[in-house]
Amino acid sequence: MHELGLMAEIVDKIEAVAKENNVTEIETLVLDVGEYSGVVPEYVEECYPAVIEGTLLEKTALKINVIPGKARCENCGTGFAVKGNENCCPRCGSQKCKVIEGGEFVIKEIVAR
Amino acid sequence: MDAFRVIEIKQSVYADNNAEADRLRGEMKNSKTFLLNLMSSPGSGKTTFLKRTIGELKNDLKIAVLEADIDSDVDARAVAEAGAEAVQLHTGGMCHLTAGMTRQGTETLDSENIDLVVIENIGNLICPAEFDTGAAANVMILSVPEGDDKPLKYPNMFSVCDVLLINKIDVQPYFDFNVDLCTERVRKLNPDIRIFTLSGKTGEGFSPWIQWLKNAVREWQVSDRIQENALMKTRH
Repeated sequence: MHELGLMAEIVDKIEAVAKENNVTEIETLVLDVGEYSGVVPEYVEECYPAVIEGTLLEKTALKINVIPGKARCENCGTGFAVKGNENCCPRCGSQKCKVIEGGEFVIKEIVAR
Repeated sequence: MDAFRVIEIKQSVYADNNAEADRLRGEMKNSKTFLLNLMSSPGSGKTTFLKRTIGELKNDLKIAVLEADIDSDVDARAVAEAGAEAVQLHTGGMCHLTAGMTRQGTETLDSENIDLVVIENIGNLICPAEFDTGAAANVMILSVPEGDDKPLKYPNMFSVCDVLLINKIDVQPYFDFNVDLCTERVRKLNPDIRIFTLSGKTGEGFSPWIQWLKNAVREWQVSDRIQENALMKTRH
């Protein structure tokens, strides 16, 4: 739901980075989107053409890496996939688990010249 | 012509907001103002709940309300009549409140003299869970008519809250809302969450909640340390 606002923010940030690095052309923008980040990759792709219009990223391709959710049990230390385990450790059954991956929404890199 | 090169950025999109939230939290700590972020669906009974909460606390605490709901159901006048200062935030149709927008609200207040500021966040159970507003505590209302399956549908929201208020408990006989089942589902996501069942309309179950809030505000005002809340623990 909030993808549009976030993407507009990202475009601003990239333009600043481009200026700092004397970039004239950005071929690709790479984002890491966690499965549990609250950001829907399809929505990001849908609003992307609208947010890049008239910016330095107008011809930039978008690449999204979806990062699967991973958790660690705070009781026995086991790492496991969030999907299918419902925040419950598959080894000891503890519910004291912390999501360690899959919550991120990160601008990974740009391919530019 | 130069060849293409990879410029690593590795910056979290939430980083700026997180930093702003931490700054605001620090300032609120200095002015001994407890900022409470209240989240819920539209129609969960926030207005009635807030009015009663203000009524119970107004003799002990100086209270203000920041109104962020796009489709606001809290009449600023109703809040003022209950005994709190009300500020309407201009969120420009956003689906969530950021720390920057919260600051615009707190800056209009004389926070040195205010003990408790309640942010009435935008009414939805998805987006507000992703953004730290700078609040000391995050509290959500789930009302009985919404159903006990909401923790399954909106797990993130239930994970980032320090307190869950199960509201409209007075109408429970007319709905198949199972408090024990709901509690079990919520604890699975967030073992440390405090849960109160109450009714903003009748006042049933209100005193444990009021007691919790009074203690939380007092603790915030006397301790030097900012304790990490549930939302801060899940921030990326």
